[in-house]
Amino acid sequence: MPAVQLPTTAELRHALPLVSVRGLRVAYDEQLVLNGVELDLFPGEMVALLGASGSGKSTLMKSLTGFAPISGGSVRVAGHDVTNLARGELRTLRSEVGQVFQQFNLIPRLSVLSNVLTGALHGAGPINMVGGFSSAHRARAMHLLDRVGIAHKAKDAARSLSGGQQQRVAIARALMQQPRAILADEPVASLDPKLADSVLELLREIATEDGIPVLVSLHVLPLALAHSDRIVGLRHGEMVLSGRTAQLDAAQLAVLYQDEEGAGDERDH
Amino acid sequence: MSATTETPPAQAVRRETTPTPLSAAERARLERAFTAPRTRFLIGIPVAILLLLWSFNGAEFNFAKLGQGTVNMGEFLSRLFPPDFGKFGTIAALLVETFQMAIVGTVLGAVLSLFVAFAAASNIAPKWLYYPARWVMNVIRSVPDLVFALMFVSAVGLGPFAGILAMTLGSLGSIGKIFAEAMESVDRGPITAMQAVGASKRQVIQYGVLPQAAPLLVSYTLLLFEGNVRGATILGLVGAGGIGLELTTAMRMYDYGHLSAIIICIIVLVTAIDQGSALIRKRIT
Repeated sequence: MPAVQLPTTAELRHALPLVSVRGLRVAYDEQLVLNGVELDLFPGEMVALLGASGSGKSTLMKSLTGFAPISGGSVRVAGHDVTNLARGELRTLRSEVGQVFQQFNLIPRLSVLSNVLTGALHGAGPINMVGGFSSAHRARAMHLLDRVGIAHKAKDAARSLSGGQQQRVAIARALMQQPRAILADEPVASLDPKLADSVLELLREIATEDGIPVLVSLHVLPLALAHSDRIVGLRHGEMVLSGRTAQLDAAQLAVLYQDEEGAGDERDH
Repeated sequence: MSATTETPPAQAVRRETTPTPLSAAERARLERAFTAPRTRFLIGIPVAILLLLWSFNGAEFNFAKLGQGTVNMGEFLSRLFPPDFGKFGTIAALLVETFQMAIVGTVLGAVLSLFVAFAAASNIAPKWLYYPARWVMNVIRSVPDLVFALMFVSAVGLGPFAGILAMTLGSLGSIGKIFAEAMESVDRGPITAMQAVGASKRQVIQYGVLPQAAPLLVSYTLLLFEGNVRGATILGLVGAGGIGLELTTAMRMYDYGHLSAIIICIIVLVTAIDQGSALIRKRIT
């Protein structure tokens, strides 16, 4: 009888999706925004989420961390069943998933360092009752600022930074959470093309080096083609596209923006 | 912070709403260079004028009487001169007491207001807390401070302590709602971000709300302090401490020189405080 070849831990880790969405339905006021969405995110990959305005990209992101009302299907994120969270589990889930926003959402008057430290709020311990963070947290925050290349601004107020710098701080804040996955909802929509490239490069670097999945929603196709391992496309709340970036052809991608000619004017930026 | 309390994103709703075009008449009206005023404007103006006339009449406003009275007013003012600073020591001591009352009343009032404001800010408090908190503040605001002063004088006796209690309650009425509105006006982005890192309710308020609202809160507290210094001079009327009692006594005794000295000192103190607080407010906003 031949010996069974057991997979190594590393292989297993790569085989199991960190985020697993099956038949997801989300409705706001009885209006279906997502219908039957399937999504798997594996460690170490950068997945671009594409679609016109109103296609449900943001809602899909939100539903992964309990920010959208799920009306059907199953959502599993980092071992949590998002449709059936125990009491207090929602905050734990959110603390394990880093989020990056289009408007950065930094606290404008606080310093860059303080903003990064807020990433460790969940489990900051009793010292935070008086607004403090441990020196270990502080050292890690400074290290992360080094990593995103903005440590020299640590003492400055967040609002004094440029858009690209603010987004880097926001990414450092997400990393401060020691996230098991990162969700970035239109992270470069408020940035100029050059900064957009550098921010997306940084996110992809994090995915590879930290071995965590990064899901990034974009509305510019070339950015998705240049910076993702995989592309998932939504149209009217349904998944119309899913494949490795290198293997997708123009015809497949064109499906995304069919009969959406007017949509360009409606985009929210 | 359950998922169901999140508001749906604008874009999800927008997709289904087809724009209703303007009617042809409305379009033509917008494009005309001169337009006849709307009916609501034509009705509104006479109504406003009638309301004003009715009020003048009811308040017995009378220019002729004012003209006749000018002589008396001049006489009253002339009696105020020269001011008599003979009892400056007493005035200074009472002004210091007034100032101390205002400080304590403002600090207690601001702290109390902050807590009630958490309950009265719609983006922080649940509905069952929001409505009672707003209602309590409305009731307190509609009661004159002098009534509170009388109430506390009868409770804890004559003196500045009663005045401080009245001022604390009065402060809650006047800035509790403004504090709540300052917290409601903060940008939602940082709040969302704090919820997204898994922060507790306390942490969301501490990091997502307070740093953004802080300049407004400090500014309103300073304004409250200015108001309380002025208000503290009145509370003495009912024996609730401060310079007010000395002021009334001087008036009743026709001691106009002393009265005038008191008024001058109050003006100097209030002006100095207003200037100082304006300077601070300018620096923080």
